[in-house]
Amino acid sequence: MIKLDRVFKNYGDFQIQDLSLEVGPGEYFVILGPSGAGKTLLLEMMAGLEAPDSGKIMGLERRRIGLIYQDYMLFPHMNVYENIAYGLTIRKEDKQKIKTQVEAVSKQLGIADLLSRKITTLSGGEKQRAAIARAMVMRPEVYLLDEPTAALDLSTKTQIQRLILELHKKDRPTVIHVTHDFEEALAMGDRIGLLFSGQLVQNDTPEKVFNHPVSKKAADFLGYKNVFSGHIESHTMSINGIDITAPVEKADKAYIAVRSNDIILSKKKLESSARNAFPGRVVKSIKRTNHVEVIVDIGVWLYVDITYQSYHEMKLRPDARIWAIFKTQAVKVFLH
Amino acid sequence: MKIKPVFYFLGTLLILFIMVPLCRMIFSVSPLEAGIAFVEKELISSIFLTLRASLWATLIALVLGIPLSFVLARHHFFGKKVIEGLIDIPVVIPHTAAGIALLMVWGRESVFTKITGISIPGTEAAVSIGMLFVSLPFLVNSAKEGFKMIDVRYEKTAVSLGASQWKAFTSVSLPMAKKSIVSGSIMMWARGISEFGAVVILAYHPMTAPVLIFERFQNFGLEYAAPATVVLILVTLVIFVVLRAVGDKQ
Repeated sequence: MIKLDRVFKNYGDFQIQDLSLEVGPGEYFVILGPSGAGKTLLLEMMAGLEAPDSGKIMGLERRRIGLIYQDYMLFPHMNVYENIAYGLTIRKEDKQKIKTQVEAVSKQLGIADLLSRKITTLSGGEKQRAAIARAMVMRPEVYLLDEPTAALDLSTKTQIQRLILELHKKDRPTVIHVTHDFEEALAMGDRIGLLFSGQLVQNDTPEKVFNHPVSKKAADFLGYKNVFSGHIESHTMSINGIDITAPVEKADKAYIAVRSNDIILSKKKLESSARNAFPGRVVKSIKRTNHVEVIVDIGVWLYVDITYQSYHEMKLRPDARIWAIFKTQAVKVFLH
Repeated sequence: MKIKPVFYFLGTLLILFIMVPLCRMIFSVSPLEAGIAFVEKELISSIFLTLRASLWATLIALVLGIPLSFVLARHHFFGKKVIEGLIDIPVVIPHTAAGIALLMVWGRESVFTKITGISIPGTEAAVSIGMLFVSLPFLVNSAKEGFKMIDVRYEKTAVSLGASQWKAFTSVSLPMAKKSIVSGSIMMWARGISEFGAVVILAYHPMTAPVLIFERFQNFGLEYAAPATVVLILVTLVIFVVLRAVGDKQ
C-alpha cells in the first residue's frame, strides 16, 4: 500500500497542499489534472527525487520504482541497448545476464531490432517503448508514469496505452499514471484522482469522477462543454426562456452540466422518454480529429459532438432547423 | 533588395578585416626566414612553454570549474548573480590590471610567499596563473551553458534507475555536456596562449611566445619580430583547425 499523508511542498510559486492519498497494491491509479497542477512534482516526490516540506510518503521506501517521463528522457549519448541496460549496469550485474534481460524485454516490447540504433533515429513510439523497456528491465514494483503518451500521435498513443495496460494486466505492478487527458484517464484507470492547483479535489472510480463532477472547474476540465448556472425549482432550471429538467428537485445556486456527446440531434421532434428536447438552429459545425462539434442555438448555445457519418447524413448546414435532445440523467448538478 | 547578398557582403568585410593582416604578415616573411625561425631554439621553446602553461591553466580550470559551472547551472542561491558577475570580471578588466592584482597575491612580497617560502613570479607556474585568471570565464561559462541545456529529468531518471548522484553526474550530465566542455576548454586554451598583459607582469621570464614577440618588436623592430610572429600564427592555426575538426567529428 502506498500512502501519502498530508503532504505539503512549496516549489517556487507553486504548492502541493495537504495531499493525502492511498493506492493499493496492483492498482492502476490515474492522477488527472491540467498542466501546472503539480502532477510531475507529485510523482517526483513519490520517486524520492524531491522531498516534501511536511507530511509523509509511505510504502515506497526501498521499493523498485520505474519512472517514465512524457519526453522519454533516453540518454542521447547511449544507443538503445545501453539505455535499456543502464540500471543493470549501474547495479554491476553480469554482462551476459544484462544482455539476456535486455533482449528479453526488448523482444516483449517489439524493439528487439532497434537495440544498436541511436536514440535520435527513433520515432516517438519507439522512443517511448525504449523508455518503458529501460524501466521494465529493472522489474519495478511500482511504475510512475508522467504523461507517457502526451508527446505521441493518435495511433501511436493508442498502441502505447494498450501496451501499458497489457503489462499491467500481466505482472500487476502498482501504477501511478499522471495525465491531463481525461479520455486516457477514463480508459486506463482503476481509480482517478483529480488534481487542481496542487490539491486533490476528487478521488474516485472513473465512472464517479466523470458522472459527478465536484465543481464547475472539474466539469469544464472533464469535457463538459455545456455548463449553465442558475436556480433549480421543481426539477427545472430556466435559462433564457428554456426550461432544462434536472435530476435535483431544488437548489438555490447551482451549476448544471451536460456532456457534448450525451446530446442527440434530430431533424424531427422525437416521441421519447428524454425529458429535455429543444428546437433550435445550427450555428456552425467545427471539424475535430474524430468527431464534428456542432453548435446549436436553442436559446442558449449547446455544444454537441456527433460522428462524421451522422454529420454527412444529416447535412447540417448553418441555420438548419434541428432538435437537441438529452435525458435528465445526462444533466449533472453541482452546487456553487 | 534581397537579404542574402547584403549579408554575404557585410560578413565578407569582417572576414577580410581578419584575413588581410594575417596574410600580409605571413607573406611578408620569406620562406627561408620562416624556416630559420622554425628551428630557432629560443622561439620554439617559448612556443612550447606557452602551449604547456595554457594547458595547465585549462586543466586546473577543468577540475575546479566544472563543479562550479554545474552548481551555477543547477542551483539557485543567494548571491548567484554576484558570483556569475565575478566570473566575467577577467573578461572586462584590462589584463595588465589583472596582472598587477595577481602580483599582489602571488608576488615576492605576498602573504603566500611569506608563508610557504615559494616564489611564484618568473616561473612557469606564474605564467599559468596569469593565463588561468584571464581565460577561465571561457570554460566556466561554456560548461555552465552546456549543463543548463540538459533537462534535469535526465539526471532524475538515472537516479530512479539506481544511480547515485555522483554516478548520474559522471554517466549522464558530464557526457551530455561534453561538447560544451570541450569547446569551452579549446577556447580557454586558445585564450591562454594569446595572453600577454597579465603574463608579462607576473612572469616576463620565462618568456612566452607573445612576450618574446613583444620583446623583439620593441628592441629590434618589426622586421625581427615578424618571423617569430608568423611561426606562432601558423602553429596555433594548425592546432586549432585540427582541434575544431576533431570536435566537430565527435
